[in-house]
Amino acid sequence: MSEKMNQALAFLREKYGCPAGEIVNGNAGPELVLPDGKKIRLLPWRVERRFVELKKIIDGKTLEDVSTFRFASFSAGGDPVKTAARELDLAAYLADSPIRRIFAVRSGDAACNILARFANGMSASVECGSRLPAGADPMDRHEIIARRGVASDRTVDTQVPQSSIYEWTDKGLTTFTDVDTELFGLPNDQIWIVRAAFAVLMKPDLGPVWNQAAADMEKYAAAVVKSDADNKPVTL
Amino acid sequence: MKPVKIAMMGMTHGHTRKYYQTLIENQKLDWVASCAADERAKEVYELYKTGVPCYLDPEKMLAEHPDIEAIVLASANEKHFEEMKFCAERGIHILSMKIPTFDMAEYDKMIELVDKAGIVCQIELEMHYNPVVKRLQQEIASGKLGKLLSIQATNITLSPVWAFPWQGSPEASYGKRVPLAPGDKRFRGGALCDHPHIFDLIRWLTGSDYDTVFAQVAPNLRKELEVEDMLMAVGKLKDGTAFLFDPSWSRLEERLKVPAPGWEVFPKRMEVNLTITGEKGMIQCDCFGPNVYHNGAPNDRYTVQYTYFDEWVGLIDEFVDCIRNHKQPKINLKWHRQTIACMNACYTSVESGVPAKI
Repeated sequence: MSEKMNQALAFLREKYGCPAGEIVNGNAGPELVLPDGKKIRLLPWRVERRFVELKKIIDGKTLEDVSTFRFASFSAGGDPVKTAARELDLAAYLADSPIRRIFAVRSGDAACNILARFANGMSASVECGSRLPAGADPMDRHEIIARRGVASDRTVDTQVPQSSIYEWTDKGLTTFTDVDTELFGLPNDQIWIVRAAFAVLMKPDLGPVWNQAAADMEKYAAAVVKSDADNKPVTL
Repeated sequence: MKPVKIAMMGMTHGHTRKYYQTLIENQKLDWVASCAADERAKEVYELYKTGVPCYLDPEKMLAEHPDIEAIVLASANEKHFEEMKFCAERGIHILSMKIPTFDMAEYDKMIELVDKAGIVCQIELEMHYNPVVKRLQQEIASGKLGKLLSIQATNITLSPVWAFPWQGSPEASYGKRVPLAPGDKRFRGGALCDHPHIFDLIRWLTGSDYDTVFAQVAPNLRKELEVEDMLMAVGKLKDGTAFLFDPSWSRLEERLKVPAPGWEVFPKRMEVNLTITGEKGMIQCDCFGPNVYHNGAPNDRYTVQYTYFDEWVGLIDEFVDCIRNHKQPKINLKWHRQTIACMNACYTSVESGVPAKI
């Protein structure tokens, strides 16, 4: 795991006075190793600021009576089933309810479309794909539809993520979206891993919750594969 | 490092509430007290339940907390000189709001007071700690764009006057009652006084200073105001860079007494965007975007929910570093003088109808 990420974590720990921990590569993704040897699965998307704000919008009742989550995530390579499991975890986190049923259709290892239902009755659709050309930035969209209001991380009348800076030079167009003053310089995906580790160190109660969520994600992935294979919904 | 014992004073500035989280969370600080300008400011302060005691008399605050080392002056512009004097005379470090004063004689006295006391006086221009601005500065400094030729920038917001009435008062905001122009019933002290950021940023980005500026006001959007709410400025820097600034209150608002969700009428209540043209390329930059968006409570209007907003974290870090390590802040009184001079020159140009030399 990147030395830079652990340096950044050490910076935050020193600044805010929190206990020790080290970010390492786990089998299924980044983990935080505590001084007693315990390992916590890190769920960086749960601390990503756009999702923190969407969660606030739901929990603070800016949206009332959420009905449906419409999520999409496309990448250059990767496993769409794993991507789907991550998106389902995000939806379950925002819904504050476990997933009870999954129905999935897959197209080999290229794409995966899912309908899910939560214990609280809410519904979700998740679209995933892995066939963006190499080097392309990931594309995603998260929309939450409620009786009162719709919230999204994409602005109205756009299809693709926006950037903070667009730079045109003789080398073409370069874009930048910097999101964190304290961790400026780290790539955004690493920033969220560091922030996730920091969140666990600041709130140790998160550890067991996240490990349980990580175990649930494995169940979601298995359910996606089984549902597609059997052409039947899978109840969890 | 020993935490800096810090206090806030005034509590009437629009940025006041933005400090609370940072002052509480930053381990390098110990926020021990606040002192409100009046009962109304104290009532609003207490809505936020910081747990930090609030006084109405600065002398009493200091008597109760003699170990205060630094004070954030979160007050109306007209109060800044007396408050700076109060701090300087007691050797207390100062974090000033973005406009120390528009009176240049008073400004020079502030410099003298601070120099004589040997204290840190940092001016709150939080855009410097915005990660997008950091990137922008890096890209320009890299030379990818070549020599800069032109910069257009917006610093447009809703008007805060309904929550912070001093911002609509010529005396409290500008320092005195000066008509905008012959025959114009409005006075200096409105949107321009609220928006120094772009006037400051361009100096950092180019390394140059102002030569001339031409400014004009437009009809006000809010007829009740006696200060300007719409204006534009164009001009040139000494290195030849052309600029066009929009520092208006061009986004309408609900007239709330305390800022709260639903304040904005236009979806994005505050924007700092820059378009920069160089000899070898061009940049477009949105310092506060992208974000998340909703049309939920309280008004069911499409609304930008700001997502990346931690300027105050970096700003306070620098302030503490300067105090503990005896450094001069990036934005200090002497540096900031030219920015204020250019803003004054905008008013001079509005009054005269011709470009003003800075």
